[in-house]
Amino acid sequence: MLSLRPEEDEKLRELLTELNRESKSKIVLLIDKAGQLISRSESPAFSSDDITFASLTAGNVAASEALSKLLGDKNLNHMFTETEDEGIYMILIDDKYILVSIFDKNASNLGIVRVKIKKYYGKLVELLRQIEERIESESSVTEQIDVEDIDLDTLFE
Amino acid sequence: MPFINFATKEINCKIVYYGPGLSGKTTNIKWIYDHIKPENKGEMITLATETERTLFFDFVPIEVSNVKGFKVRFHLYTTPGQIIYQASRKLILKGVDGVVFVADSQEERHDANLDTLDDMLENLKEYDIDIEDLPLVFQYNKRDLPNVLPVEVLRRDLNRWNRPDFEAVATKGIGVLETFKEISRQVLQKLKK
Ligand SMILES: Nc1nc2c(ncn2[C@@H]2O[C@H](COP(=O)(O)OP(=O)(O)O)[C@@H](O)[C@H]2O)c(=O)[nH]1
Ligand SMILES: [Mg+2]
Repeated sequence: MLSLRPEEDEKLRELLTELNRESKSKIVLLIDKAGQLISRSESPAFSSDDITFASLTAGNVAASEALSKLLGDKNLNHMFTETEDEGIYMILIDDKYILVSIFDKNASNLGIVRVKIKKYYGKLVELLRQIEERIESESSVTEQIDVEDIDLDTLFE
Repeated sequence: MPFINFATKEINCKIVYYGPGLSGKTTNIKWIYDHIKPENKGEMITLATETERTLFFDFVPIEVSNVKGFKVRFHLYTTPGQIIYQASRKLILKGVDGVVFVADSQEERHDANLDTLDDMLENLKEYDIDIEDLPLVFQYNKRDLPNVLPVEVLRRDLNRWNRPDFEAVATKGIGVLETFKEISRQVLQKLKK
C-alpha cells in the first residue's frame, strides 16, 4: 500500500514546484501507473480537474505501452502530446510512476522541460525509493485511520 | 492498491466494474454519478465509440469525508466488454482495490458472462492478485427482462466464492446503490487489516 507522510508530501511538493518553476511549466504532476495523483507542484493557476487528468494520463500511457509492445518495442520511456497552445510531456519513473509536465508553448518548450526533468530526475527517484523503504519497514499504517465512521449514505441526494 | 496521504488526509481507492459488453456497467456508474451530491463528485469521463459503447474506460471520482477528518476518494472505472478490448481490460485492473462483476441475466448472454469471468481471473493472476483476498461483489443485472436465468443459476455459475450478490435493474437504479455500498464497505474494511 502506498502512503505519504506529511514530511514526504512536503518534500515531493517542493521538488515538483521547483521543477515547475525552472522548466516554466504550468504544472508538474506525479501520478502512479494505476491512475492515482500522488503529488503536484503548487500551481494555483492550473484549474483543470487534476484527479481526472491523472486517470486519463495513466490510461494514455498504458495504451501507448501496449502499442509499443505490439510493435515489438519493449519499453516505453516517455511520451509527448500537444494541443494548439500546450505541450504535455510524460516520462516514466521506475516503471511505476509517471511524471508529467504541462507547459504553455509560448512560455517554454520541450527542450527546456526535458533538460530540467533530467536535472531533478535523480533526486525524485531517490525520494520515491526512500518512501518505498519506509513503507516496507512499517507494519501497518491503517490503524491510525478510523474508517468505521464513514457514512456512505451522506453521499447521495 | 490504496494510496494514503497523511498530509492531505486522503485515501484513494480504485473500484472496477467488470463484465461482458452491454451488461450495464456504464449504466451503473452513470446512475451513481447522477445521484451523488455535486460537492462529492469530480468530472465523469467516458471514452466511448460512436455507437456509445465503451471504448477504453469510464471514470467517476467520488469523495467522501468522515468525522475523523480523513477524506476517502473512490475512483470508479468500467471496462470495455468487447473481446477485442482484452488488452484495455487488463490495463484498467492495474492497482485495483475492489471489483464489481456486473453479469447480464439474460439466458443468451450467459456464455459471455462465463467467458468474461475467466478473462478477469486470468488478468488478476497476471497482476498476482489473489481473488480470495480481493473485495468482490456480484450483480445480476437486467432482472426486468423476460428471458432471464434464475438467480440460483447465475450464483452457482459465477459467484463461486460466495460473495455478496445483488439483483439489479440498473436503468431504474434498482440494486445500484446497494452494490456500490457493499463494495465500498469491503474495500474500507480491508484497509483496516
Ligand atoms: N432492460 C434493461 N436494460 C438495461 C439494464 N441495464 C442496462 N441496460 C441497457 O443495456 C445497454 C448497455 O448498457 P451499458 O451500461 O452501456 O453496458 P456496458 O457495456 O456494460 O457499459 C444500454 O442500452 C442500457 O440502457 C437493465 O437493468 N435492464
Ligand atoms: Mg460501457
